[in-house]
Amino acid sequence: MKELEEKILQADSLETLEKVRVELFGKKGVLAAQFAKMKDIPGPEKKAFAEGLNKNKAALQAKFDAQYELLKAQEIEKVLKSEAIDVSLYGTLAQKGALHPVMETMDKIIDYFVALNFAVESGPMVEDDFHNFEALNLPKYHPARDMQDTFYFNDGGLLRTHTSPVQIRTMMKTKPPVRMIAPGSVFRRDYDLTHTPMFNQVEGLVVDDKGKVSFANLKSILTDFLQYMFGDVEVRFRPSFFPFTEPSAEVDISCIFCKGKGCRVCSHTGWLEVLGCGIVDPNVFKAVGYEEVSGYAFGLGVERFAMLMHKIPDLRSLFEGDIRLLEQFR
Amino acid sequence: MIVTRSWLNEFIDLSDVSNEKLYKTFNAIGLEVDSINQIEIAEKVVIGKILSCEKHPDADKLNVCQIDIGSGTRQIVCGAANVVDAEYVAVATIGAVLPGNFEIKHAKLRGVESEGMVCASSELGLPDMGKGIMILDESIGELEVGREFGTYEKVADTIIELELTANRGDCLSIYGVARDLSAALDIEMKPFEYKQEEKMKLGIAREAEIHTEGEMDADLCYKLATIDTISNSFLLQLRLAMVAVEAEGKLAKILAYATHTTGVVLRAYESSAFINGEDKIVVRAKASSKGIIEVAGKEKVVSVVGVYQDEEAIAKDDTKKLLLEASYIHPDTLVEAVADSALKTDELYYKTSRGSNPDLDFGLSFLASLMDRYTDINCYEGSLDVKVERENEKVIVDAKEISSIIGMDVELSKIVTILQKLGFEISSMGDHIIAVAVPLFRHDIKHIQDIAEEIVRIIGINHIEAKPLVFAEEPRLNDTTDRYKAKKSFKNRAVGAGFYENVSYIFSERAVLKQYGFSIIEEKLELANPIAEELNTLRSTILINLLGAVKRNVSYTKKSIPLFEIGAVFGSRREQSEVLSFVFSGQVSNENISNAGKPKMIDFAAFTQKVGAVIGSFELVPCTYENGLIHPYQSADIIIDGKVCGFMTKLHPTVQEAYGIPETFIAEINFDTLLPKHINAEPISKFQGVYKDLSVVINKSINYYEVAKVLNRLELPMLKDSYPVDIYEDEKLGDKKSLTVRFFIQSMEKTLEESDIESVMSQIMTALEKECNAELR
Repeated sequence: MKELEEKILQADSLETLEKVRVELFGKKGVLAAQFAKMKDIPGPEKKAFAEGLNKNKAALQAKFDAQYELLKAQEIEKVLKSEAIDVSLYGTLAQKGALHPVMETMDKIIDYFVALNFAVESGPMVEDDFHNFEALNLPKYHPARDMQDTFYFNDGGLLRTHTSPVQIRTMMKTKPPVRMIAPGSVFRRDYDLTHTPMFNQVEGLVVDDKGKVSFANLKSILTDFLQYMFGDVEVRFRPSFFPFTEPSAEVDISCIFCKGKGCRVCSHTGWLEVLGCGIVDPNVFKAVGYEEVSGYAFGLGVERFAMLMHKIPDLRSLFEGDIRLLEQFR
Repeated sequence: MIVTRSWLNEFIDLSDVSNEKLYKTFNAIGLEVDSINQIEIAEKVVIGKILSCEKHPDADKLNVCQIDIGSGTRQIVCGAANVVDAEYVAVATIGAVLPGNFEIKHAKLRGVESEGMVCASSELGLPDMGKGIMILDESIGELEVGREFGTYEKVADTIIELELTANRGDCLSIYGVARDLSAALDIEMKPFEYKQEEKMKLGIAREAEIHTEGEMDADLCYKLATIDTISNSFLLQLRLAMVAVEAEGKLAKILAYATHTTGVVLRAYESSAFINGEDKIVVRAKASSKGIIEVAGKEKVVSVVGVYQDEEAIAKDDTKKLLLEASYIHPDTLVEAVADSALKTDELYYKTSRGSNPDLDFGLSFLASLMDRYTDINCYEGSLDVKVERENEKVIVDAKEISSIIGMDVELSKIVTILQKLGFEISSMGDHIIAVAVPLFRHDIKHIQDIAEEIVRIIGINHIEAKPLVFAEEPRLNDTTDRYKAKKSFKNRAVGAGFYENVSYIFSERAVLKQYGFSIIEEKLELANPIAEELNTLRSTILINLLGAVKRNVSYTKKSIPLFEIGAVFGSRREQSEVLSFVFSGQVSNENISNAGKPKMIDFAAFTQKVGAVIGSFELVPCTYENGLIHPYQSADIIIDGKVCGFMTKLHPTVQEAYGIPETFIAEINFDTLLPKHINAEPISKFQGVYKDLSVVINKSINYYEVAKVLNRLELPMLKDSYPVDIYEDEKLGDKKSLTVRFFIQSMEKTLEESDIESVMSQIMTALEKECNAELR
């Protein structure tokens, strides 16, 4: 027995083990020979002999199986080892592009409002005086028109200076209530470190029955929105002036760079201006033929949001397709 | 608009209001603070009295002064020419540390001892008041020799720059800002009272008269005065410097000061400009058109109200007899009239176009009070007036409506108090309703929401509790929302395929579009005022923008440049549509371990694969588009569902060279054609199918898509799929090529038998022989 066990344990490869198997368990193997002896054993002893033989066979089989498992594992390990590579060489292989940070910011903004049951609306970039100015309570020669240096076409058409004309178009084609946002590019004749002739806005408008929509509602949604975008910030509303809203306000968040202590980015005020908003001016409703309604509107610049959220220092770099900037957003 | 704390203090007592509170209040009431500058004068700068002043023995430009600084007399050498006119000056004594860490020490100037420095404004951190040292007078308070200069509140003032919104012309004056503060801080305004000293009993009517012509829509008020000498107080000069108001001459400075204080538009004329043949001053005011009121003298127009004043008629410092004018015209009327005219406007137009102060008496009285103090002036009694009857705007205000606009209950009494403080007149009309008469200086207020804004401002938005809006839910998904979602999904796929999203201006250069044969906007619809030549039109393709971005990236040493952009393009009639454009330039991948640092360059196959990963399956046929970017032999129409929806091409080598970029592929696809369509599933066969290859020899000139067309036309139900797998050309084949196509054959009804397969293959071969002259290889 001992001898046979030794044979199994000494097998150092699956091939030698196979030879041992044949030698032991094969048709002409040692065990078969032992079993053959059975017929010569007298009746009374036969049972004990058979039991002893079976026991030995089972013990050998167990040894064999264990040795097989061991050698198999060694064999696989050998194969695996032979396939070894330096995985750290391959980390740079992934080739994914990136969304533009401004567009990704726009998506995040849209997602928020869509989740609050706002519809997404759009309108043409080439606009007319009525939709871009007149209907928004910006009559000709209104001093507020100075704030928006406009691109004009030879036929008197213009490039929209804000996304607000989409409000007008939406109201003129649908009945209240209205719950919409209008994301899109807008254009002003301005080009310097902090201005580009094109930038992106998201505009929001809510219209419902008269007496229903209030400034307190506007405060509620915008405070929540800004905290969704910028995290744990303080939100401050300052009265301001826009021709199409009354009352109007500008909305600041506590500076995300210095936590409101005052730094270069916030001009040492501790606040960053991020939004304009207000209660829709009755003249706007008059222009689109709405009666007995109330509403609020707001608008924001997407580039400013993106620059603040991602600490992008240079506005103009956003329009250059600079992969050195874009690849940081993979 | 720049104000100073001590200047405001003349109209409202701010002694209990800290700068911090002032800053917060301004922001809270809609007068946004741009900057606050607290002037700090260094210690040991004191009031000195010049006892004597002699020329320096060895230097022409220096003076040696003996100056009493309270603690004794000091000898100080001074280089400023105007020191000879000075009595009281600001002296930086030994040990004083001036801005720029400049310490005053004992000095010897050309052999003469000097113990201190006589200061100019800028040396102390005050705004620049021009050449020379400051010559002080009692306008800043009693001058006590030896007193620290920084203890004078009017000197160590706080300068506050406010960013005013376009509707707040009423705050373009110290007085107007003080009035707004008064309402917000609940502090009474100090009354302004002035009684002119009676120096002269002569009435103005004896020497002057006014005639009007046409419909006057401007208020005018004239006073006649004689002046002997004119001077400016130190404070007046200091404050004008603080608020950055520039005026040439002493009289002009006084007028500018009075206008900045009161908001009333004030001008002064040489009386001679109006004297007629009978030695009488005759002012002719004529409405030449609505909003244009000309004031004429003896022979010509000397000013247009609210717009400009003729240079020659402006009173100078040596004018002996002058006519002072206060005027007001409603900004809406004025602005429209001026825009329609070709009139040039002067610096006061900013005030008049936004609404100057209509209280002309206040303006003139304030001016007279200033002149009385510092100028030897004699005013004639009375004035010449043109007064327009103006109705105050009336607004009916319901407290309940105000409350519902704001979203917070505001009591009527609160509304009344706020409005009264802001200068509105109130009369009751019932339980919660009042009639409000809007003061003339608030021309911007016309309806109840304007009133609500005033209430919101003064209450403070931060005191309004936020309340979420309760609304009826409604399905709001629409085409635009769907389109937006589709766009987002294409973008994400493009990113997955390795492209970077580009955002570029919708502008392009007309000449470049033309050069490359893209459509350009009709001349009569073209941009009238482009910002730059390279942005002088709307783009009809994004590809030019993308090539520009590639060029920049090449200059940043990028070797693999995959970009895409979804954006607007415009047709020749400016019709807007949206395209999805791709560019892939240079290496197909970055250099890495698997390509041994030598990646392949982008080629047609790799580019097609990448575009396909974004837009899904499509067919390619020879290109029918025409523009200068297209490579004539490596370009294709992209066909989806049988329709041409865009093109892809290798960039034409000459363009590639012009841009200085490596091998580049581009594609532009009409985004509308990519929008997701409804798909019905087809049943899947339960029976096994087989793949079969067929190699045929055909003419080189036959493109695969022509072969595909033939196969499609067969409409064999068992032919489920076919695609080219090999193409082979050699000399033996001559002008022919060998094409291998793989077919997938499967039946919906049964297991295929050899005869079924043979039948399909022979039909295919017969068709190809017939229509493409194909031969079995």
